[in-house]
Amino acid sequence: MIDRREFLKAASGAAVAAALPGCQQGERWHPAAFVKQPRSQVAIVPAASYERPLEETILTGLKLFRLDVNDRNVVLKPNFVEFDPQGVINTHPAVLAAAIEAFRRLGAREVIVAEGPGHRRDNEYLLSASGIGDVLADTGATFIDLNHDAVRRVALDSDYSGLRHLYLPETVLDADLFVSLPKMKTHHWAGVTLSMKNLFGIVPGSVYGWPKNLLHWAGIGDSILDINASIGVPRFNIVDGIVGMQGNGPIQGEPIHSGVMVFGADPVAVDATCARLMNIDPWKIGYLERADAFLGNLGDDVIEQIGEPVDRLQQDYRVLEHFQGIKATSRVTAG
Amino acid sequence: MTDQLQTALLEAQNDDGGWSVDGSGQSQTEATALAVLAAKSTDPASRGAEWLSAHQRPDGAWPPWPSVDLTSWATPLAVLALSKIDPPAAQTGAEWLLDQGGRGYPWYTKLFYRLFPDRKAIELDADLTGWPWLPDTFSWVEPTAYALIALKSLRDRLPPRTAARIDEGERMILDRTCPGGGWNYGNSRVLDEDLWPYPDTTALALIALQDAPAGEEIETSLEALEQMLEHNQSGLALSLAILCFRLYNRPTEALEERLVERLEDVVAYGETRSVALSSMALDQTTNPFAFGSHDRS
Repeated sequence: MIDRREFLKAASGAAVAAALPGCQQGERWHPAAFVKQPRSQVAIVPAASYERPLEETILTGLKLFRLDVNDRNVVLKPNFVEFDPQGVINTHPAVLAAAIEAFRRLGAREVIVAEGPGHRRDNEYLLSASGIGDVLADTGATFIDLNHDAVRRVALDSDYSGLRHLYLPETVLDADLFVSLPKMKTHHWAGVTLSMKNLFGIVPGSVYGWPKNLLHWAGIGDSILDINASIGVPRFNIVDGIVGMQGNGPIQGEPIHSGVMVFGADPVAVDATCARLMNIDPWKIGYLERADAFLGNLGDDVIEQIGEPVDRLQQDYRVLEHFQGIKATSRVTAG
Repeated sequence: MTDQLQTALLEAQNDDGGWSVDGSGQSQTEATALAVLAAKSTDPASRGAEWLSAHQRPDGAWPPWPSVDLTSWATPLAVLALSKIDPPAAQTGAEWLLDQGGRGYPWYTKLFYRLFPDRKAIELDADLTGWPWLPDTFSWVEPTAYALIALKSLRDRLPPRTAARIDEGERMILDRTCPGGGWNYGNSRVLDEDLWPYPDTTALALIALQDAPAGEEIETSLEALEQMLEHNQSGLALSLAILCFRLYNRPTEALEERLVERLEDVVAYGETRSVALSSMALDQTTNPFAFGSHDRS
């Protein structure tokens, strides 16, 4: 379904928007709630395949940020929206397994895997078919189905979607550290789906249904902003870009080998870096451009790459025709 | 075999009489309704029914959880569970359902598609009203299937306008049939790409359509469900498929054997919904999802 923002854009909406009630571009967030850092650090770490030593790769990335997870409750949120045996939809099980062990080695008291699959309700099938169930069995990590977790009503700290409140899962709201662990993918409605869009999976299906269509009605980009603005717990982001998805993502695209993992605490900077790695201009992704105002840093001049430079590992991700406009006009050269 | 499942259900019942999603945590409407249906006329079922009756909202609907101040898609399951135990509560729930309907596209989307018909990304008839997960949102297959099952079960007690809602709900589900048969959550084709069906949703849709006029979509979807089960052995998929095929007079013995082989896993996985549905599927005496007379043999 096309949302109002997309319609207005298609209809050259600036003038139309000004004439419609509720579309004034006023302040959409509480200034006191957001203190954007002047600069953000992101680390691109090469990872050629899902074979060992992936755990060491993740530890390398985490140590660059000197994360203190000692005695902390860490919640890992992979992208696990659907399953296709021929596809590369989800965060690879090997990445999840390696992340569980890496956080344990850094001293985490508990590492929980939490996800609320967006399309399917048959977790018994999803877990076993995808290999996630084997990871849980091998590592002994607890899995929380965020679609059915106990919830609390949360007032949203920004107001792009008009939703004002959402019921969100206590496992996420009570985490000492929440780690978004998405797959690097294009997205046929949002342009890209990375660490910020991955948070659609925390919205509980038991309240809002499958797919999480309330968020589509309210505007995908707007909902991404409001959810990311509102979970209120320390965050970190690790993107599985070893094999990403291009074209008709997030479900039916094709695999593309990028050979990277991307790390960082600022989800906007991480997603901007991933977009650049995909040869996509993050300033042309509407929700990322708006996130730069209050949630994090988008500009490559304020993102310090503490791992590999973007240009060394950049791949040209194919996008659908209606998203040709988000492609970078020139390949990134800045590090 | 149903003894093992009934024991598992009994052990999972909360002190308040309800059931949680997975045997731990707060009681929840969907899990409690399915457990009540599976436990039939037992004391645990009565206590579960009391929990459901106590948590009905003044407007007649049920919330997904008692702590969530919203009406929900779980209402038809509660209606079905209480239809014989607490008929007045079931009646008000069904009447609430009749007043609900999924929203179609907003005016600006309709205008957009009228101006740019080739930009229609999703191939469905958004003007067909089924039921949404959450009031004032789009119609989807699973909540529509639950609503149809509940309304058809109580049809004799409901006003004449029920027939029109049922008819449109059936047409909505048929409109969402995947190419090749079966249903997923409710999108069959997006951006010129076919989407694939799921066995659990397909079985639910077919259960809801059990007395609908026979048609190509139903026959191909029954075949598609058979094929999907070659790759999905979950308790949820097998149990719903058995309950579905029995309504269409299709053999279920092989599926029952497979489900029995998997029972330990189903119980160990501990999802109340799968345990309850497995118990219903292996109970040859009744099918809580059967309504009216139908014979497709």
